[in-house]
Amino acid sequence: MTAPLFKFGYFNDEVSLIVAFVIGIFFGLVLEKGGFGSARMLAAQFYFTDMRVFKVMFTAIVTAMIGLFYFSWVGVLDLSLVYFGETFLLPQLLGGLILGVGFVIGGYCPGTSAVAISTGRIDAIFYALGGMFGIFVFGEMFPYITDFFYSTAMGKINLPELLDINYGLIMLVVILMAIGGFTAAEWAEKLMANKQSKARG
Amino acid sequence: MLLKAFAEIPARKRIGIIAVILGIISIFAGNPNDNVNTKVNLKELSLISPDQISEIGVSELADWIIKGKFDYRLIDLRNEEDFVKYRIPSSENIQVTSLLKSDLSRNNKILLYSDNDITSSQGWFLLKSNNYKSVNIIKGGIDSWKNEVLFPKCTCGENPTIEEQHKHNKLAEISKFFGGELQTYIAADNTEKVKMPELKAPATITLKKTTGKKKREGC
Repeated sequence: MTAPLFKFGYFNDEVSLIVAFVIGIFFGLVLEKGGFGSARMLAAQFYFTDMRVFKVMFTAIVTAMIGLFYFSWVGVLDLSLVYFGETFLLPQLLGGLILGVGFVIGGYCPGTSAVAISTGRIDAIFYALGGMFGIFVFGEMFPYITDFFYSTAMGKINLPELLDINYGLIMLVVILMAIGGFTAAEWAEKLMANKQSKARG
Repeated sequence: MLLKAFAEIPARKRIGIIAVILGIISIFAGNPNDNVNTKVNLKELSLISPDQISEIGVSELADWIIKGKFDYRLIDLRNEEDFVKYRIPSSENIQVTSLLKSDLSRNNKILLYSDNDITSSQGWFLLKSNNYKSVNIIKGGIDSWKNEVLFPKCTCGENPTIEEQHKHNKLAEISKFFGGELQTYIAADNTEKVKMPELKAPATITLKKTTGKKKREGC
């Protein structure tokens, strides 16, 4: 049996909805347990006071990366069938910037706001409503920004292909980045804690 | 000794060390996307009998296109030049060499055609040995399409029966739909005057693709 199971036709569209539902429940559970359901915790990332979310996120990225690579290497996963989106450099840079601003102001990203709604947080409900309104505005504006939306298209490309270097090397660099990031994050946490305790006197 | 020392390191550092080691090994592991060498289940393939290789006739394909049934991906295996000159409507040009690198999914219903059945068979074998589930060959390829759909010959005589007349009309309609013309015998001359078929670019039928409810993936 080779993954991705859906793409190899091991189950159909209907079953895929059930699978998505089950995975979604566990994903939400893990996000909530990881502290992703709290706007304060999420916003804390940007003030370096509690970097838990950053650490959970980066750990997940590294784990998934190593897992995908080695599963593909031993032949139980066809990595070429794992979906990733196309690159549109400038529109995505701008989109990322808008998302980041929204993230630090509102305290959620779209996914975590859904997690927070399920625990009954009112701010998250307003956040999600705002997101839906934003989608509506975007849809109405779309005819005017179509050119920009599709500009600087690079197709489906990943770093090893773009830079023409070894997959493994990119992996090692990301792993080292993660370790460096964790060390820096903990250093920043301590620094901020000292600052805060000094401020309190 | 080494293991004992390793066990004494705090768990988070241990995980970090394992990650770095896996990262270093991965440098020598090669490209995970490189699936040029594939394992072929020889037994399974050799047991396939000709009637299991699903061939689809051109008239059936024409019928699907007219009815707007697009639950398949029609692949033209010929070279780009021929493809640009003329192609069966709704087809996409992928050559055999890039078939496995294309965005075809293993659960797509795939129809292959070319200007010879060997290329189609080659494509069929490549896809089938790579676990593509539904791979079909358009019987006779582009030549059959030309002879049976675009420029079919009417076999009915001077006094056709109602049944023959009906068939004649149907053929004429289908060939007209695709920008072709029914070839008739001119009985008065008593010689066969078949107008030389001239292939035009496909009639601009904008085909609405309904291939497998394309989902937006990602978060």
